[in-house]
Amino acid sequence: MIPRLLAARLIDLAVILFGVSVVVFLLIRLVPGDAVAIMLGANAEVTPERIAELRGRLGLDLPIHTQYLRWAGAALTGDFGVSIWTGRPVIEEILASIGPTIELTLLALIFGAVPAVPLGALMAQWRGGAADAALRVVSIAGLTIPSFWLGIVMILALATLAPSAPMLGYVPFAQDPLGHVLRLILPAFALGLPVLANLSRLVRTAMLEALSQDYVRTARAKGVGERRVVYRHALRNALIPFVTSLGVMTGYLLGGAIVVEQVFAIPGLGRLVLGAIAERNYPLIQATILVVTCGFVIVNFVVDLLYLAIDPRLRGAR
Amino acid sequence: MSALAQRRARPRDPLLIAALALVGLQVALALAAPLVAPYDPLHQDILARLKGPSAAHWFGADHLGRDILARTLYGYRASLAVSAAAVGLALLVGGAIGLVSAYYRGWTERVLMRMMDVVFAFPVMLLAIGVIAVIGAGAAPAAIAIAIVYTPIFARLTRGPALVVAASEYVEGARAAGAGDLRIILIHILPNLLGVLLVQASLLLSSAILVEASLSFLGVGTQPPHPSLGLMLSEGRNVLMLSPWSAIFAGFAILFLAFGFNLLGDTLRDRLDPRLARSA
Amino acid sequence: MRHAVRAALIAGAVSLPAVAAAQVLEIGYDQSPAGLDPHIATAFATFAVINGTIYEGLTAIDKDLRVTPGLAQSWTVSADGKTYAFKLRPGVTFHDGSPMQAEDVAATIRRVLSKDIASPLASRLAAVDKAEASAPDTVTLTLKEPSAPLLASLATIAVVPRGMEANKDALQKRPVGTGPFKFAEWRPNGHILLSKHAGYWQQGLPKLEGVKFNLVPESATRQVGLTTGTYAMLPNIDAATAQQLKTNPQVRIAETLELAYTMIGMNTSKPPFDKAEVREALNLALNRQEIIAAALFGAGVPGGPLSPALKDWATDVAQFSCYKSDPAKAKQMLEAAGHKEPVAIAMSVLPRQDIKDIAQVVQQQLNKAGFKVELKNLELGQFIQDWRNSNFDIFASTNAGSVDPDDYFFRTFRTGGSTNVFKYSNPEVDRLLDSARAMQDQAQRKAAYDDVQKRLACQGPIAHIAYGQLFTATRPNVQGFSIIANRSLSTLRETTIGK
Repeated sequence: MIPRLLAARLIDLAVILFGVSVVVFLLIRLVPGDAVAIMLGANAEVTPERIAELRGRLGLDLPIHTQYLRWAGAALTGDFGVSIWTGRPVIEEILASIGPTIELTLLALIFGAVPAVPLGALMAQWRGGAADAALRVVSIAGLTIPSFWLGIVMILALATLAPSAPMLGYVPFAQDPLGHVLRLILPAFALGLPVLANLSRLVRTAMLEALSQDYVRTARAKGVGERRVVYRHALRNALIPFVTSLGVMTGYLLGGAIVVEQVFAIPGLGRLVLGAIAERNYPLIQATILVVTCGFVIVNFVVDLLYLAIDPRLRGAR
Repeated sequence: MSALAQRRARPRDPLLIAALALVGLQVALALAAPLVAPYDPLHQDILARLKGPSAAHWFGADHLGRDILARTLYGYRASLAVSAAAVGLALLVGGAIGLVSAYYRGWTERVLMRMMDVVFAFPVMLLAIGVIAVIGAGAAPAAIAIAIVYTPIFARLTRGPALVVAASEYVEGARAAGAGDLRIILIHILPNLLGVLLVQASLLLSSAILVEASLSFLGVGTQPPHPSLGLMLSEGRNVLMLSPWSAIFAGFAILFLAFGFNLLGDTLRDRLDPRLARSA
Repeated sequence: MRHAVRAALIAGAVSLPAVAAAQVLEIGYDQSPAGLDPHIATAFATFAVINGTIYEGLTAIDKDLRVTPGLAQSWTVSADGKTYAFKLRPGVTFHDGSPMQAEDVAATIRRVLSKDIASPLASRLAAVDKAEASAPDTVTLTLKEPSAPLLASLATIAVVPRGMEANKDALQKRPVGTGPFKFAEWRPNGHILLSKHAGYWQQGLPKLEGVKFNLVPESATRQVGLTTGTYAMLPNIDAATAQQLKTNPQVRIAETLELAYTMIGMNTSKPPFDKAEVREALNLALNRQEIIAAALFGAGVPGGPLSPALKDWATDVAQFSCYKSDPAKAKQMLEAAGHKEPVAIAMSVLPRQDIKDIAQVVQQQLNKAGFKVELKNLELGQFIQDWRNSNFDIFASTNAGSVDPDDYFFRTFRTGGSTNVFKYSNPEVDRLLDSARAMQDQAQRKAAYDDVQKRLACQGPIAHIAYGQLFTATRPNVQGFSIIANRSLSTLRETTIGK
């Protein structure tokens, strides 16, 4: 049963990745007007020869399906062409910027996910009445606070309260490991807070649901202690939706990182792609979107597999 | 129907009332901005620039001497207009795709839902930025970008329950009575989904407001001189240490607006049939 | 164990002076350069990183904006003003170790003029007919016609090694020059690191071991970075940032009146700005003091066609009748020119915060004086493309300015000039510019340029708005740096970091 299910999931994955690549490929072709002339615009005199040269270099003079095959084939080997501006291979620029983004996303995920479990469990125990409403309001506020604004407010607060704390800017890990981590705390907090709000609510709901299930009641009836009921039985079940939403959260974080990187001046993919948009550097935009999206799709795929592993009931289903 | 009567019969939820009041107030302020705003949001009073709250300018004035309160009120308008247009468009297109998929099944469904899966696979901000890279920056492009990103959510949301309804005896009966496809979809299937759609629309409005603010903050959404909350934040951060008011008030406005819609969606969901709520 | 610790401590103590000497200046810098080829990437973002640091020209500009010897230690000019012989400084080496010779300079000039490179700087050397190495240490430039601004222009032409005439890529990524610092590393969106050029021709310089340009777009982060000591210098910052830093005891601010200016450009090839009266009306509608107060935080002065920083040349703005703001009169002039309804125009805006602010203030001012302005916020690429193709009604932008009037005026206002995107054509101005170019006598030139300024101020295709103050903020321990009005950071070679 499992290999078949796995095979089906793998086919799904392939179809999605193919679709994503087609969408990304088509992006540049949908640009109104002459994308090549616009790309050249900021760099040099736009002459017919230069347009023709760049068009040839990007392969835009071939039939569209040939273009796609060439592009996708090259992309599979990690060849996304050369950045029009710096002349460096696009993949090099992405690799140079991907580290801080992954680091920030992971830190924010840890910050959002780890405290969410005990917090959610605690919240489940305080159910009913005014406490319920208060928790709800606080967690929705956490969910809807704009992370970039939170970042700005934290910068303002830090500059006023502790102007000499080395917590802003960015230093590479190799240069100053401690300073590096210190400087990622505020951005990870700003980015991770909505995740924390979301996940702890989710754990709470799932716990409440689990606590009302028959097997928990049976356990209670059998005289199993309340703590044990909560942590052994209910929590385990509450973890299932928690794990599934981790995948979705990664997507949110990767997107949110774009904005937070801008606020905290972290040299990651967000800044790369925004810079590329301002310069109309289409190959770089395409490659960044493709790489990040594929990463996201694969994370979700892995989460899906995890989900199967956690919840044995699902193995027989579908 | 009886569900409605049942809902009425339930005790009042103070949170729902609070949410309705919060959303209602902010929407009313946005709509009435031209009437209630103390100044033209573009009017520049150079002498007042960067001054904090005062009797003349309740929220202070920004770096060009424009009234921050007026700009916040008009910013609500811009934010709501873009977000509502985006969610409305996503609801129309996504809803239609979901209904058509559920009703016709087969290849139509497979192809449409696969396409939705692909769009859904992109991280929201990244796809929105990608779309803007293609069609250019601005308020309308931001609305379109957000709409594209949210379309699959509505498609998936409608398809699930629509499948159930479409297979029900109720619809079988209508079909036997000779009702046409469109009629069945519009009259018999759609009304059953309104509740779920309303909840989701409210929740997505909340996130759309945040996404629009982020895009404007990054400079690819609403463009100057038009007042927009994200733009106010972005312009305000340049003078943060001199005068944080623009950034602070714009930030609170975004927070309250997004918060209101999220709370509304959340409390509405509780009011609905939990079976439907869980499928969301 | 204890010994080891002690040894380490002693080693640390001993090497302390060495560490102090091994100084790398951490700079917080706002923009990522589009490339580092001095003949291709000519925007401010690149200029400050490479001018006088990595690269040097035959001549140099000092902090009083005068021409001084650079890589040429002296020069002679023939009587007819058409032949210049430059004697090169001995002992100059490129960062790759090869000695700089006359052939390198000649190749540099040919490179700038070559069609393959299509350098935006080519227009500055338009008068040059031939560049030859007449001796190993002498370069001879033969001109088509006399060119008074040549010496000032040469300061902006970076000397690169020979063999680059057809190579557009190599220097973009790995610049090689003769300057006090050599290129070490570029991490896109991260930093650009320059290290000391040990073979620099000037004894004892540079004093720093290196200079690191940290690319930090967020203004607030740069500011906090400076006050917390992450960065030691924020060069060429705007008035908003300077004002926020001024009160901090950990910050020193150096300032000077900038050579660059902010401006509204008008397209004279189509209505409504084909009419001189409409251009004058726009000037009358502007309130330059108000623009300076709002968008430049009060740090700047209204300016005419030449910066007041050019004391030898600039005409006082009090002499320009249209610089006294008068919206009512502007409206009358528009009506007299046949515009009964508000004149609907679009203003393209350069994507830079101060320019966006200026555009919004100007929009309000023009709307009060009979115009109806719509702002077009464009991405940089689109803006430049529209600019090149004269695809605009008016635009708000900034321009670097030049040390010599001819360099700016001739390419901008001469009929057919290389950056005359306004399609401005005025036979009188053309005649004056042509003749002034050939004059060697300073008083004569000044008279000609006075006349040109008078003609351009109110009815020219550019409404010059203001020359801003330029600021550089440093930590108190940064010494020896002086700010230069053209945004060059060449004095970094004399900079040290003290206690």
